[in-house]
Amino acid sequence: MLEKISFTINGKPTTVEAEAEMMVLDVIREVLNLTGTKHGCDNSTCGTCTIVVNGKAVKSCNLPVKRIEGADVLTVEGLAKGTELHPIQKAISESGAIQCGFCTPGIVMELYGLLEEKPEASQTEMETALNKHLCRCTGYEPIRDGALMAQKLLQERK
Amino acid sequence: MKFKYLGKSYNRPDAISKVTGKAVYLDDIRIPGMLHAAILRPEYAHAEIVSIDTAEAERMPGVVKVVTGKGCHYHYGDNIRDLVPMAIEKVRYIGEPVAAVIADTLAHAEAALEKIKVQYKPLPVYIDARDAMKPDAVLIHKENGEYWHLPTLKPTPGTNIAHTYHLKKGKGVEGFKEAEVIVEAEFNYPHGSCTAIEPHGSIVWFKEDNTIEVWSSSICPFIIREDLAHSYEIPVSDVRVRIPDIGGCFGYKSDITVEQTVAWIASFVPGHPVKWVATRQEDFTSTLIAHGIRSRMKIGASKDGKLVAIQNEVIHSGGAYADTAVNITIAATHNSAGPYEFDHCDLIGYTVYTNTPAVGAYRGYGHQEAQIATERMMDLLARKLNMDPIKLREMNYLVEGKVNALGEKMWKSHGDIVTCSNMVKEKVFSKAKPKEDENYYYGRGFAAAMKSPKGAPFSTKGCYMKLNNDGSVTVSMGGAEVGQGLRTVVRQVAAEALQIPPEKIRVYTEIDTQYSPYEWQTIGSMFTTQGGRAIIRAADKLIAVVKSTAAQVLKTDVDYLEYNGEYVYLRNDPDIRVAVADLSRGYITSDGITIGEYAHAVSDARLPRYANPDENGQGSLGVNYTFGATAAEIRIEKKTGKIIVDNFTSVFDVGQVINPRQIRGSVLGGVTMAIGATLYEKLEFDQDGKIKNPHMFKYHIPTYKEAVPMDIEFIETPDAVGPFGARGIGEHSVIGPAPAIMNAIYDAVGIDFFEIPITPDVMKKALEARQEK
Repeated sequence: MLEKISFTINGKPTTVEAEAEMMVLDVIREVLNLTGTKHGCDNSTCGTCTIVVNGKAVKSCNLPVKRIEGADVLTVEGLAKGTELHPIQKAISESGAIQCGFCTPGIVMELYGLLEEKPEASQTEMETALNKHLCRCTGYEPIRDGALMAQKLLQERK
Repeated sequence: MKFKYLGKSYNRPDAISKVTGKAVYLDDIRIPGMLHAAILRPEYAHAEIVSIDTAEAERMPGVVKVVTGKGCHYHYGDNIRDLVPMAIEKVRYIGEPVAAVIADTLAHAEAALEKIKVQYKPLPVYIDARDAMKPDAVLIHKENGEYWHLPTLKPTPGTNIAHTYHLKKGKGVEGFKEAEVIVEAEFNYPHGSCTAIEPHGSIVWFKEDNTIEVWSSSICPFIIREDLAHSYEIPVSDVRVRIPDIGGCFGYKSDITVEQTVAWIASFVPGHPVKWVATRQEDFTSTLIAHGIRSRMKIGASKDGKLVAIQNEVIHSGGAYADTAVNITIAATHNSAGPYEFDHCDLIGYTVYTNTPAVGAYRGYGHQEAQIATERMMDLLARKLNMDPIKLREMNYLVEGKVNALGEKMWKSHGDIVTCSNMVKEKVFSKAKPKEDENYYYGRGFAAAMKSPKGAPFSTKGCYMKLNNDGSVTVSMGGAEVGQGLRTVVRQVAAEALQIPPEKIRVYTEIDTQYSPYEWQTIGSMFTTQGGRAIIRAADKLIAVVKSTAAQVLKTDVDYLEYNGEYVYLRNDPDIRVAVADLSRGYITSDGITIGEYAHAVSDARLPRYANPDENGQGSLGVNYTFGATAAEIRIEKKTGKIIVDNFTSVFDVGQVINPRQIRGSVLGGVTMAIGATLYEKLEFDQDGKIKNPHMFKYHIPTYKEAVPMDIEFIETPDAVGPFGARGIGEHSVIGPAPAIMNAIYDAVGIDFFEIPITPDVMKKALEARQEK
């Protein structure tokens, strides 16, 4: 049965009609046509579907849409202001962390969920967060470099 | 030679679109009127189809059409035309398309799929080629031998052997008579998966005007175009294939994979684009899988360590269709001599039909599967000779003037393996190894590597370049950006060739066969070499056009003129000049008359001297070899058997480095993949041919916390073919890790392994068995 579900996405109040059990990933991609959030596996292993809900990074492929009623949702499309990249995007785009780019939106949102709240996050917290994401291209070293660079930029911003 | 724009770490042209989520991948494409397909897979890996009942599925909500293979009259394939888009009378592997539902939404298509009823009559299942080769084995293709195939392939009718490749150099096996010491062993590189984070997908649209439009996550748009035109009997020019951004390839998005199946499905609903994207499970079960190569190797040497003869039997479990496996068998066979010279070679490879998904390209393409054996054998031989294993290799490297198994003489420009080897020796083996402690054993292992080029007749890459009226340049090519950073290479090489800053070079984003210049396919680490060469050739032509117009403007002969990217000027008086920007649309004189011509150029580049194998299996692959050396420093946890790679060192002679940050990234990623194959990854089949681990949480690829510290260096002996002396690097880094780690395990605990993956369980059992002895 279709239900009306209201939430804020990238700062914009939105109401969608969807099956309550539909996953947020499918709502974002298929209903709202925000295709920056990617579908990589079907069982929340790869992390590329990660978005930020009420400030926390979560995987959207196993999150039923009814769970975001009234929530503040942020996707990768909501980070840059025009041509001005978010510091995390700037760092990730310059560190060599991007090859095919398919895991990138998830990693950017993971770091956003962690570092916006806590720019001084410990190495262990960074590792735990990034370990939720699979990347087949980079061997992870440039992702670590990008994350550290992002952390530095965010600390300087505060 | 000093370069202005090479050897510098420019950012990728596609970085910002990717980091903002705006890069468009296959599943992000939406077309008005688009329908969705879901595909039914069989319950058996090998069975006759008795009946398919689609009646109930057809009545389900949203269903537009239910499709089966019935009535399909064509086979396809580039090497052996043994493929069908959908099973017809039988299924040959567990992921094969049996039927499909086209519906308004994917959910509707998936719901209807469950209502299709299929009756099967099961047949014996063969996973291992050794079983499929037995004389009483049931034929997976009774038509074996009847299919159209390349003239160089040799199927054996009445068997499951799709191809036999036999290479003989010198006296072949007779050469072992000259050997004083012989070692023999058997190795196994089991089936695996490329597991890109983006699954495969395609959109196919049969249009009312009898043309076909395709979008696909593929690196071979021109092959798809030609294949579909052939199957549907329309002109090649009436098939248009577009390639958006690709979320990783690593091999399995090369050759034609899912496109023919989606086309077959879409052909039933002309006028409607039909989209199909693999689930992660289908990406494992229903696209190309990797490896599946066993080898039985024998090496003979003199007492002082001079290699004399090699014999290898490569048995390749090639999967249900051999079209994509045959060339991997060939590559694994001739590359099994590794980076060494043997006077006598007898190398034989069999591609065998089995009941797994078809084996296709995986980064490395036969090299790691072959050289896992060669590099382990060097250590085994050294032990028998009581010699240092690196010293044994040093005596036999394929240096300048030596002749490889294929009969090709090595040139200085193929690179300096001796220096690579020495650097690794110095970095890793000049210091003392950590001593065994309470928790860990420590070991170090070495492996050298050789990468051969991959060509085919007319395996060219094209480049189209146009000069804009502000002096900027637009470059269009047919090379697929899968993440490897090809667009950066295009930008930097074009900048260098045209002497224009990279910021003024616009690199193409998508490939469209309607506009893009021809490219065979973006494979074999050949883009930098061939694509770069095509860029230089196009740039030379563009500069010639500009100079020719300038000669008219400056009223002089062309050969008095020089070009520097900004101006064309008189050699003896640079003040007499005309701006390059003013020559882009010809030169418009003050009275409005235009002289000269529009400044654009097209070019292409093949590998020089590529030739098919002769009757001895020898030939020229196109003179573009690359060499390197690697080493693993490992720890083995006594309690768990877990192998921890403390450091992995890679040194390759790649010729001119184009982008230092990007080339390091390539090697980091390649080594990580190969460590995954060595320690964790294996596609597990049960006896019925079902894949037991077709999910990312079961098929374990390396994670962030498992990343290995790496020491990576490059030597830059200029190449003779590639642009400004550059060579490719895409696949090379996957060759060394397995044998280097296995050699390190022996160094640590004195246990020889001959197959991967070496999981903690495997290691622990081996340690316990050693204890019992």
